[in-house]
Amino acid sequence: MTSQISQRQVKDIVAQKFVEKLRLAYFVVDSDLLVRDFSSNLVDYGFPALNTGEPVEDKIDFMIGMNADISLDLPFVNSPSGASVCVSLVPTDQQLMVLISDASDTTLQRKLLQQAANENELLVEKQIKLMADLEATSTLLEQKNLELEEASRLQTSFLSGVSHEFRTPLTSIVGYTNLVKSGLAKMSAEIDSYKPVRDQHHERNSIEYLSAVQRSSKHLMSLVENLLDHGKLDSDEIVIRPKPTPIVEIFNDVELLLKPLSQTKSIELKVDLQDVDSQTHIVVDDSRLRQCLINLVGNAIKFTDFGGVTVQAKLQGENLDVVISDTGMGISEEDLEKIRLPFYQAADTGKVGTGLGLTITERIIEMMGGDMDIHSELGKGTTVRFDLAAPLFNQTSEHQSVAPFTEASHLSILLAEDDPDIADLVILMLDESGVEVTHVANGALAVEAVQNNDFDMVLMDIHMPIMTGYEAIEELNRLGSKTPIVVMSASAIEADQQKATELGCASYLMKPVDANEIIAMAQTLVK
Amino acid sequence: MIKKKVCMVGDFSVGKTSLTQKFVNNVFSEKYLTTIGVKIDTVEIDQMKLIVWDVAGRDSLSPINASYLVGAAGVVLVADGTRDSTVAALEEIWATVEQRIGTVPCVVALNKADLEDWSVDDSTITKLTDRGWDVFKTSAKDGTQVESLFHALVDKI
Repeated sequence: MTSQISQRQVKDIVAQKFVEKLRLAYFVVDSDLLVRDFSSNLVDYGFPALNTGEPVEDKIDFMIGMNADISLDLPFVNSPSGASVCVSLVPTDQQLMVLISDASDTTLQRKLLQQAANENELLVEKQIKLMADLEATSTLLEQKNLELEEASRLQTSFLSGVSHEFRTPLTSIVGYTNLVKSGLAKMSAEIDSYKPVRDQHHERNSIEYLSAVQRSSKHLMSLVENLLDHGKLDSDEIVIRPKPTPIVEIFNDVELLLKPLSQTKSIELKVDLQDVDSQTHIVVDDSRLRQCLINLVGNAIKFTDFGGVTVQAKLQGENLDVVISDTGMGISEEDLEKIRLPFYQAADTGKVGTGLGLTITERIIEMMGGDMDIHSELGKGTTVRFDLAAPLFNQTSEHQSVAPFTEASHLSILLAEDDPDIADLVILMLDESGVEVTHVANGALAVEAVQNNDFDMVLMDIHMPIMTGYEAIEELNRLGSKTPIVVMSASAIEADQQKATELGCASYLMKPVDANEIIAMAQTLVK
Repeated sequence: MIKKKVCMVGDFSVGKTSLTQKFVNNVFSEKYLTTIGVKIDTVEIDQMKLIVWDVAGRDSLSPINASYLVGAAGVVLVADGTRDSTVAALEEIWATVEQRIGTVPCVVALNKADLEDWSVDDSTITKLTDRGWDVFKTSAKDGTQVESLFHALVDKI
């Protein structure tokens, strides 16, 4: 006998399996939300046991605010047991059936997906925000950069002004002192034998006094250089210009300049220059080397109250080695680390100064291809060693004579200079050598003079009224003038010197200028 | 005791769960765990049993499921004070609320007030208060203004 499963039995079995699979639970409420029926497995989801006839809102929190005729699907509701369930509210005739099924598996999968998606979106948002911040910071930096560039431009402009203002009067002082000293020397040599001894003695004293004025002027110039150089350190505007220089002259100058200071303090200053003579020339920026020596030896004397200061120098191959040692108060280990910083001065020295000398000196030595070391012991003294590139110069015909006032009667020079003192000085200096000088006081007159005359060279100041030196040079270039132009300026700003090169000028002479330098330049150009 | 249903709604990761947990259980966790569906908590406040529905936040994959709002007596609109987009989203979320259950009492939580990169300015807050909403700068982390937020909503209900 074959048993057959009825359609109803099949439906019952399927329903049974479905209910088991979904862990389906339910309850039924009437229109007043009073419990009418419920499944026993409600408690499996953590819901409290229900009683027929009681208000469902007393036991089932998610029913708060619901009514009996609402049809609603609430997916992924956290049940009291913690399991995620789907709740379906199905209104029937005067009743509401609420079905609860397990959704744990689906919830877990969805949670993983959603968590990753949300974290990703948060990262994207953060990235966008960071990019916006970066852009804002970049804009701010650009703005600050512009402000710094403007500040730097103003500083350069200020330095240019200060440099010009200091150099111009110093040019007069140094130049006129040279002239007076030279005149006195000539007079003294020519008629010494006809003068009383007392007058001869007086003239020799005067020459020495003038030498002292010269040295002090140079010292004043070097102090000004220190202040100006500090401003240029950051902008790399310090330029080293090596040229053949008698080494003995540099060290003699330093000794003569600083000797009075050591004598005032009753300490000895000894300069020992080994294996060189008065004819030994080295290729070095002499003014920068002088500046370094004055700074370092001056410091040594300043901080030495007993004993003395010794300067030893010798040529080692292509280098000049210098050792400056003193028997002064010395420097503590702590201060030794700080003294190279700008404006730093050890607090207990009681000495005055700008605190810039050492910073600038070290930088200049580095720029001259050298190094500087400082060794010191508190109470015993300090030794500063430095070396720098200083190749020997073989004196040949290309080397200009350093003898004063070279004869140059065949030369004709146009001088464009607005400062009458400087103009008179240059005229006097060149006149001594027989150079024919024509003077104009502005650029416009210079252009006119060049057009109407035949000069060997134009000596052109930069800062002049009506038409500046550069404007005049541009105009002369436009007119096709072939007369060589040498710029003569008190401006130490590199940009000014760069412009002279760009405009095709033959050279750039820094005030205070030397007559021999001008003549040598003119003679070279005429050749 | 009166029982009232309230819903926490807002964008994802604004701190709805953190505010609820701080208020209901006085706990806080830095770890971000997204909410799927809804979590229901209860708490007694001012002689009222509040059934707090912490609804999953709106995100790029899914909008707020408005079915969860049915039967709510009030809502807490939550935004992240360090993410302007979540504050701007409140308008759209409120439109969903009004469309499904009408105008109900509402308070606004600008959350994460403890963070340094706060970006909501006064004019934005003024716009929210001009709509008649009480606005609270909350911190689920240190509890700032969390109690006040829920008390204000209960008062309105």
